[in-house]
Amino acid sequence: MRGTVSKASGFLKVVFAIVWKDLAAEWRSRELISGMLVFALLVIFIFNFALELDTQARSTVTSGVLWATFTFAGTLGLNRSMAVEKDRGCLDGLLLAPVDRTAIYFGKTLANFIFMLLVAVIVLPLYSIFYNQNLFIPGLLLVIFLGSLGYVAVGTILASMAVQARTRDILLPILLFPVIIPVLVAAVKASSGFLQGSAFADIQSWLSLLVAYDVIFVAVSFMVFDFVVEE
Amino acid sequence: MPEAADTINYMVAGYVVIFGVMLTYLVSLVARWRRAHRDKAMLKELADRDEP
Amino acid sequence: MIKEQPKLLKTLNIITMVMMLIAIGLVFLYAPMEAVMGPVQKVFYFHVSSTWTGALGFLVSAIAGGFYLRTKKQTWDIISVAGVEIGLVFMLIGIVSGSIWARPIWNTWWTWDPRLTTTTIMELIYLAYFMLRRGIEEPERRARFGAVYSIVGFLSVPLTFLSIRIFRTIHPVIIGSSDPTASGAFDMTGKMTQTFVFSLITYSVLFATLLWHRTRLGKLSAEIEEAKLRINE
Repeated sequence: MRGTVSKASGFLKVVFAIVWKDLAAEWRSRELISGMLVFALLVIFIFNFALELDTQARSTVTSGVLWATFTFAGTLGLNRSMAVEKDRGCLDGLLLAPVDRTAIYFGKTLANFIFMLLVAVIVLPLYSIFYNQNLFIPGLLLVIFLGSLGYVAVGTILASMAVQARTRDILLPILLFPVIIPVLVAAVKASSGFLQGSAFADIQSWLSLLVAYDVIFVAVSFMVFDFVVEE
Repeated sequence: MPEAADTINYMVAGYVVIFGVMLTYLVSLVARWRRAHRDKAMLKELADRDEP
Repeated sequence: MIKEQPKLLKTLNIITMVMMLIAIGLVFLYAPMEAVMGPVQKVFYFHVSSTWTGALGFLVSAIAGGFYLRTKKQTWDIISVAGVEIGLVFMLIGIVSGSIWARPIWNTWWTWDPRLTTTTIMELIYLAYFMLRRGIEEPERRARFGAVYSIVGFLSVPLTFLSIRIFRTIHPVIIGSSDPTASGAFDMTGKMTQTFVFSLITYSVLFATLLWHRTRLGKLSAEIEEAKLRINE
């Protein structure tokens, strides 16, 4: 009994160590966050001019623009997070340590997840201003939570692979986007639903889809991560 | 009774695609197979030469 | 030493060819003309069969990928690659033939309906599969990553299909179509059903034959790669 308890706490220690390491490193340089901030602003402006929206149309595309931003900014975060490990050889160092591999995966995923939520924290007030719409609705926050989770579960695995390939930068979006489409569709529809105050019954199927995706892919990524990092 | 639509051109186009792509793939398989055999024979020759 | 095709494979070749000829005969001589769509409906039989074969290829690839991760035997990786390659070819045939079938009926080359959209996304996933493999030098890692992605990719497909299906029950419009509820359905008579089922079986046999051939090619290529490495030492 004591053995299992200490094993579990050891696992968690590793997880938090990795999360803390990533967050602390980012806090020192703040490159990633500032990059994502500027990126989010640029996306708003590009969409504004590219789509020539009038005030009416703008309210219907808010959730679309929001999730397009998350999708693209997310790849920045994922790439950065794994590339840093690879380039500085941190990943190899981590792997030499006598820790459960899945703890490493869990830690990286959690760190990436927190980054995505940070992106949301930056993006939501900005978009609220530019789209003149209060985006701080609990339902929307729930969708962002669920959507980011699925995105990051798959994204961390794929980023770990992509970063080891020659074509690393372009490869991650190519690998990720087709697989992430259920999240995108469900998140956009659910977000719209909450923003437009639709009945919960209408939104329910989208939320269920998000939850199903999250459950399946967190589980699959857990099982598969070992194979991605073994040497 | 209404006339069936005159869609014979589309049918032809459809079958051209179906069989055209299939045949192209088969041809590519055969070509790759032949090349692999040539490579293997050449390598065998090299290996035999290296061991007198 | 050039290996001869095993007897079973040779037999399979002949069976496949015969079945294909019979299937073509059934489609053009046995199955009746569809009343509304006319001749283009005949594309349906091989269109669905091709898509089916494409999906089979991806399924085999994901399963073989799983076995590779479990056993680390190279043969499984070779089968996985073969599955993706055949899957890509036949899925492409399915998509394009489907588009050609749709054009005269719905007056559009493309519809965002769940099946067409999902199959195209699948195609993109497996193109990405090859791009991933191409970017990795080391054979063992290439095989491992390929296996992981083929599994992840395949698992995403049902959810993708579901998401688009739910999406479409709310937005049934086929852009540019005159009939917003069009679904390409038609009444299948008995003869059509028989032709359809036979086509599916023929294509399944074709798939097995091609998979075998492609796997043999893969094994030969692997042998050559290995021999080249040995010579370079």
